[in-house]
Amino acid sequence: MAVDRATLLAWIKPSPPSAEEMAAAARLAPGDCEIYGEKLNAILDEAADVFVRTGVSSMLHSGDLVVGIYDPAGNMVAASCGVYLHAVTAQLPVKFVCSQFQTEPTVGIHEGDIFYCNDALYGGIHNPDQIAIMPIFHEGQLIAWSCAAVHQPETDAVEPGGMPGSAKSRHWEGMKLSPIKIGERYELRADLLEMMENFMSRAPRMQVVDVRARVTAADRIRRRIQDLAKAVGAPLLAGLFRKLITQSEASARARIATWPDGTFRAVSFADTVGATESLVRAALTARKAGDHITLDFTGTSPENDGPQNAFAHIAAAHVAIYLYAYAFHDLPVSAGTFAPLDFVVPDGCLLNAGSEAAVSQSVYACWQMLTLTPIVFSKMMYASAERNLVSASAGNNHTVPFVYAGMNQWGGKVSDLLGYPFNGEGLGARSDMDGVDCYGFPMAHTGLGPEVEDVETETFFLHLFQNELIDSGGPGKYRGGTGVESALLLYHMPRAVVSSMGATTRVLIGQGLFGGYPPPAVPGIQVVGSDALEKLSAGEALPRDFRELAEKRTLKGQYRFERTARSSRMIGKGDLVSVIASGGAGYGDVLERDPNLVARDAREQRVSPRAAAEIYCVVLDSGSGEADLEETTKRRAEARQARLARGKPWAEFMAEWSKRKPPEDMLSCYGSWPDAKPVRPVVRL
Amino acid sequence: MDAPSRVSSGRVAVTEYLEIDLGTETWHCRRCQRALGPARSNYKQGCLVHARDPSTFYPPQVEGERYSFAPDPALCMLVEFYCPGCGTLVETEALPPGHPPTHDIELDLDNLRRHAAGGGTREL
Repeated sequence: MAVDRATLLAWIKPSPPSAEEMAAAARLAPGDCEIYGEKLNAILDEAADVFVRTGVSSMLHSGDLVVGIYDPAGNMVAASCGVYLHAVTAQLPVKFVCSQFQTEPTVGIHEGDIFYCNDALYGGIHNPDQIAIMPIFHEGQLIAWSCAAVHQPETDAVEPGGMPGSAKSRHWEGMKLSPIKIGERYELRADLLEMMENFMSRAPRMQVVDVRARVTAADRIRRRIQDLAKAVGAPLLAGLFRKLITQSEASARARIATWPDGTFRAVSFADTVGATESLVRAALTARKAGDHITLDFTGTSPENDGPQNAFAHIAAAHVAIYLYAYAFHDLPVSAGTFAPLDFVVPDGCLLNAGSEAAVSQSVYACWQMLTLTPIVFSKMMYASAERNLVSASAGNNHTVPFVYAGMNQWGGKVSDLLGYPFNGEGLGARSDMDGVDCYGFPMAHTGLGPEVEDVETETFFLHLFQNELIDSGGPGKYRGGTGVESALLLYHMPRAVVSSMGATTRVLIGQGLFGGYPPPAVPGIQVVGSDALEKLSAGEALPRDFRELAEKRTLKGQYRFERTARSSRMIGKGDLVSVIASGGAGYGDVLERDPNLVARDAREQRVSPRAAAEIYCVVLDSGSGEADLEETTKRRAEARQARLARGKPWAEFMAEWSKRKPPEDMLSCYGSWPDAKPVRPVVRL
Repeated sequence: MDAPSRVSSGRVAVTEYLEIDLGTETWHCRRCQRALGPARSNYKQGCLVHARDPSTFYPPQVEGERYSFAPDPALCMLVEFYCPGCGTLVETEALPPGHPPTHDIELDLDNLRRHAAGGGTREL
């Protein structure tokens, strides 16, 4: 029986320490915490390296993974990320196993056991995310747990790729494992591996190799912790684990207490719910008082009958992506950081859907968290010593995870994601600098895009071009980092299946900060039956970017401009498909951007001449390309006067604005307008 | 990183462009000092407001297509809040047409006053 969702949410926070743990923590000598805390981090880094080198799927190779150490009760002690949200949610299946199986005679917890799971109802994010869990024993006593998790790009769902846009309930989503024991006495059970291989018939080898990679990484941690316990004794480790948790809680509370009390709000909108086009709203209200913050998602659109739903613990875990990378970037990655936070995620909103809901695209339901969290925390922190951490949003979800499946040129069955598009997003601008161009994956801050040459060797695609995407960084005093555009040609094989996921195509999901702008929207592009391969053979000129391709149609073929979320479809050799990673959001008034930086961006083709002139109001010398500072000052003064002329007083603006409304057919999943309350039941078969 | 310091002016910087005068409990523009209304209310009510069609900002790259690189103004507008004194763009919001602008910052002024007096806020 699955755990109730309120319990899962509560399990994100650390459980109270035992008297023995507190006594052990008190006995630590000066320097023990620092020395052995770093030892834990070194163990985790080694395990992460082992993990990357032993698996085969793209996200694993990109480093979009987590390995972690958990105390005997399942509280996170330290993690190497990767994906911070997995570090948080890995606690939940461990706590489930502890609570349900420790005294259950048919299961039990024994040295050498290997547990495995992927069902969100037991603490996961969505069922592509599979996790290996091992108890760590020393002299017969359970002293810790190790975990290794990474996204598996196939789940035996109704579509290839593990995140089916057509899913209507959990029954469309393929293999879902509650925590089960897949190994004993340090050996994997062949029958259960066979079961998984059978489930994953689209890519059986990838499943089995990656299961072994997860277990290998978890086992490396197990061995190193056991070595450490032999060297320093289990009591020191018990004290160390608890001290790392209590230290990070105390540090987080002390930092929060320095921020002004108040209420901070943000909203974000998307236009895609799986196969349906509809506006949906995500709303976050942060109430900060003293050393405590309540994060309230009331006002978020109701759950829907597509796959873009989540559960409360999934929403809360997405906050970790921001907290561990920004506000608490210098604190230990432990459960203690979450102790000062409470979450309100109303039942029935898309962030806390019913247990029969499809959640295979829960990360898209939660993607708006990557906008909301930086916005509310930045507004909380600006008046504090953390002003340098104030940042506009990344993760603006114009990035398209791109799934491909079929037989590859090496005779193997594959179903995978391309690792680099979402490992190439632009980062949000900060209060003191531009966002990093082509930064990475905002859900996995240490992830790296793989080499194009490796991708072309391993997959059936040829890259027609891969560039920084011009004008993709949200404008501002500090510009959002630029994203990436890739054009993929099916090259090695006669056909393949592709699909992609996303939450928006016609709506700006990101929000700028303090006058900065969100990055632009992008469509999906496909050219069916292109003549690119013929042009390549003939040595003829080829398009160099999507603007050129869209405006000049320099390839023959049938052009499709469509949503970024594209359902599974067959493509043929020579077909071209776009994959685009979004830029980050901007910070501050564009008219305050240093004109010389605009000139530099124009020179380096990160900003178009049109944007330089019309958005940044910078006059560039037609010969040198340098900024004409005198003319720019004049043009910017005119732009400010134009704002004063067109801006209306609040009451006058609202009298007109409040009469407007989006088209009714785009509100089918939104809820009531504008407050997004449920207006219809969701029926799932 | 600068250390937190006492606020001697009686004003606390709350955003890049907004500060609160703790004496008068009033929002002010940090560029021109223009008063923008009571600090216990939404500063946006003291701004000039304009809803910009985002497709003029991010123009379409293809004509006649539903998906064109441009945001759809029927679904999304860029709402801009200007200081009425100097025209500084204080804040933006991407909102569906008709959606109420967000009351994004609601500070506990009594706490802020204690906070500033104790050196818990940065200088302007």
